[in-house]
Amino acid sequence: MDMTALPVPAVALEPSQLRRSCDAARLQFKTTAELEPLEGAPGQARAAQALEFGVGMRREGYNLFAMGPEGYGRHSLVLQHLEAQARRMAPPADWCYVFNFKEPHRPRALCLPSGQAPAFKAAMARLVEDLSAAIAAAFESDEYRNRHREIEGELAERQESAINEIGERAKAQRIALIRTPSGFGFGPMNKDASGVMDPEEFARLAPGEQKRYEEQVAALQKELGDLFHLMPKWRREALDKMRNLDREVTRAAVNSLIDELNSAYATLPDVQEYLRQVKEDTLENAAAFRQPGAEGAEAPLRRYAVNVLIEHSGTSGAPVIYEDHPNHAAIVGRIEHISQMGALVTDFTLIKSGALHQANGGYLVLDALKVLTQPYAWEALKRALRSREIDIRTLGQELGIISTVSLEPEPIPLDVKVVLVGERWLYYLLHGWDTDFAELFKVAVDFEEDMPRGAQDDELYARLIAGCVGREKLRPLDPGAVARVIEHQARDAGDAHKLSVRMQTLVDLLREADYWAGAEHHDVVGEQDVRRAVEAQIARCDRLRQRLQEHIVRGSQLIDTEGSRVAQVNGLAVLQLGDFAFGSPHRITARVRLGGGRVLDIERESELGGPIHSKGVLILSGYLSGRYVLNKPLSLSASLVFEQSYGGVEGDSASSAELYALLSALAEAPVRQSLAVTGSVNQHGDIQAIGGVNEKIEGFFDLCRTRGLTGSQGVLIPDANVKNLMLRDDVVEAAAQGKFAVYAVRSVDEGMELLTGVPAREIHARVEARLSEFAERARAFAVAAGKKSWRPERKK
Amino acid sequence: MASRAQEIRVGRIIACFAPGRAAAPEAVAHLAKQMQAELLGLFIEDAELLRFAALPFAAEVGLASAARRTLDLAAVERLLRGQAASVREALAASLGGHHWSFRVARASPADAVAAALAEGYAPSLVIPPGGNPLAERRIVRAADLDEEQLRALLAAVRPVLILPE
Repeated sequence: MDMTALPVPAVALEPSQLRRSCDAARLQFKTTAELEPLEGAPGQARAAQALEFGVGMRREGYNLFAMGPEGYGRHSLVLQHLEAQARRMAPPADWCYVFNFKEPHRPRALCLPSGQAPAFKAAMARLVEDLSAAIAAAFESDEYRNRHREIEGELAERQESAINEIGERAKAQRIALIRTPSGFGFGPMNKDASGVMDPEEFARLAPGEQKRYEEQVAALQKELGDLFHLMPKWRREALDKMRNLDREVTRAAVNSLIDELNSAYATLPDVQEYLRQVKEDTLENAAAFRQPGAEGAEAPLRRYAVNVLIEHSGTSGAPVIYEDHPNHAAIVGRIEHISQMGALVTDFTLIKSGALHQANGGYLVLDALKVLTQPYAWEALKRALRSREIDIRTLGQELGIISTVSLEPEPIPLDVKVVLVGERWLYYLLHGWDTDFAELFKVAVDFEEDMPRGAQDDELYARLIAGCVGREKLRPLDPGAVARVIEHQARDAGDAHKLSVRMQTLVDLLREADYWAGAEHHDVVGEQDVRRAVEAQIARCDRLRQRLQEHIVRGSQLIDTEGSRVAQVNGLAVLQLGDFAFGSPHRITARVRLGGGRVLDIERESELGGPIHSKGVLILSGYLSGRYVLNKPLSLSASLVFEQSYGGVEGDSASSAELYALLSALAEAPVRQSLAVTGSVNQHGDIQAIGGVNEKIEGFFDLCRTRGLTGSQGVLIPDANVKNLMLRDDVVEAAAQGKFAVYAVRSVDEGMELLTGVPAREIHARVEARLSEFAERARAFAVAAGKKSWRPERKK
Repeated sequence: MASRAQEIRVGRIIACFAPGRAAAPEAVAHLAKQMQAELLGLFIEDAELLRFAALPFAAEVGLASAARRTLDLAAVERLLRGQAASVREALAASLGGHHWSFRVARASPADAVAAALAEGYAPSLVIPPGGNPLAERRIVRAADLDEEQLRALLAAVRPVLILPE
């Protein structure tokens, strides 16, 4: 910096510079009811274009991430675009799960034309009913009974004649065949062959005769045993015949019914294949139709049910689904279980759809943070998007922690566009750390937080307000109320030349103004109602602000608002508590002495200062060493502190105040305590813009007003922040009356002159002299130290 | 014939039970109640079987297992007693207060049934051992029934309605 250049003295800003008012007289309507509502999203042209592109681009990976802070209408704008596009699209196909006759644990997915799934389900239910009746009737028929009896009789006759044949052969040997409790036996006949020989008679026979009988009986027993071995085979043959008979009878009953259904779905090969399998299965399981018996999961006819997973009857256009609770099951679907005899069982009818099923063929909107905080939901979503199919797996299956018998339903092809809605940091975090993210979410939809406030934009914003009023069914606003709302939104944007497009705060303000208008029995919301709503919002949140101010007023926290003092400057800090931010003054002090050229940041040393604050303090060292005693070492030891600050300090907006305190200490120039300072500084001494300028000014103003406005009080702000000024009416009014002032400064020199009343050139000269003195004294110490060793000399 | 049989009020049902060929007692009881007829449960301990079991080398070949098992008289008698008791219990449980009686006869089936028929109660419905009580009935006049014919009818297993002379 040119040391010879004289700073331009800073002057107090004009009241008109402190707040950009909206002139209600220029709004050409009586109430907002006359205005055509603006349904779009003003100021979101970039986001709207990105949405238009992303929504229309149906290629792999072109999913969207709508990023921006909460409350800026991301959901509504996204849904608005999606619904508009979805209306132009055809409704997607219906999907059902049916029993897989080949692999029962892998239910089959059936695709049907849009809206036809419920009819198919009803047709199958009717088919089962008809089959039950038809099969039962067929099995009750005389033909079936006669043929069944014939087979049974044939078997009985075959067995009987075989046994009788052996009996006849035995009889020829004078041996009788006897029926016993569990089978048959052989015994010698009596003399007249009318029955079995008495045991006494048998005992009287010669031993040879007895032995002959025993041998003959043994041979017959063996023969009978061999015959009995053949009987299960004969029974099986008879059973096969009966089974064939059953199939024949069932086929006759089933064919016409299934063929009728088949012809109704002639154009759907998958359905036809399924019906063919149903026919085969009914032939095998005809008994189930005759005695349906059990209910629940064990019901034998349940296998012919149709589980309509997703259907679109009565809808037009593609689906647009917003899933508010996107956990793993809600995204990919789930397989439920029911308790049966103490065990958990499931089947294909217990498969439930997820958001991906519902949105398939259309659009799915999810909150990014919710997806990421639900266990395995993000992985499941990515897997589905990558593979382009929905594979329903329960979390238990995926983790392998549940051994209950479960299903592996056939995956369903996926054609969906996913829109994630989230904050910017989340987008950048995912982009940086998740390699799949960039591949799957190629379209960023970046939402603005404000819109320009040109001459025509107040009118446009009035229409936006009219739209909100209409949607929320509120009382209309008069021009004065609209002007107040616009000013409030400019304040929310923190810029006199911009308007916040945070819809949440706008709608909240309109609702609350409507409430106060209702309380006052107003038909139209007026300026006073809006003012009251704003005041009530602040009053609900400002307990801490009041408590802090009370501490200052009662002297617990030391802040001077009059007089002058060396090395003491009023800095300003902003406290953000939830949605409410307010400014509060803090005393910043500096101490200097001869030292090693170091500026000590006490906040940092005590670990109460953040890195940006530390950076600001280090810049001060740079400023001092680059400006003063350039040919000598900087032999200064200085310390800086935020007095009575017990929480953390972050940001560099106090760095100019710290520099003023430091210069004041070095130049021994008292600083006016009626002024407060905000602004960061660079190594050249330029004052740079900071945030929260309105809150900071108002914070100091509130304290001064409480103690009494003297006319000498004011705040120094960076010149670059003048465009951000949207101060409260009372501040502007005080400034207009000359009771309070806001000064825009561009350089440290301007600030020092205002604070000390001493010309900057003189301040710099005093600082230069002080630092030179420090350097000389430091040199003197060094010389003295060089001549005289600090070690005691040894005697020779 | 069946319709005619249904028109005739049956005086007594003689249900024969024999080892290995027991009709279902519950079905017999149900029929008796339905026909409002007195029931005689006749458990026949076949004399032939007992004689056979007393032979020194008596053995049976199991119908289901095809295995040969030695028989002795005491075991067969014990078995028959057990079977008779269980038939009796089943009838008692099914019949409740219905009029019925039960007896064990050690004779041939034809002799046992002939003795029961001689007690009167005509017309009587005879269900042979192992017979299905609901199967189609044959109708025979008592006058036409000699011992040989009765034996043949019982062997045929179908229920027989015996009309008075």
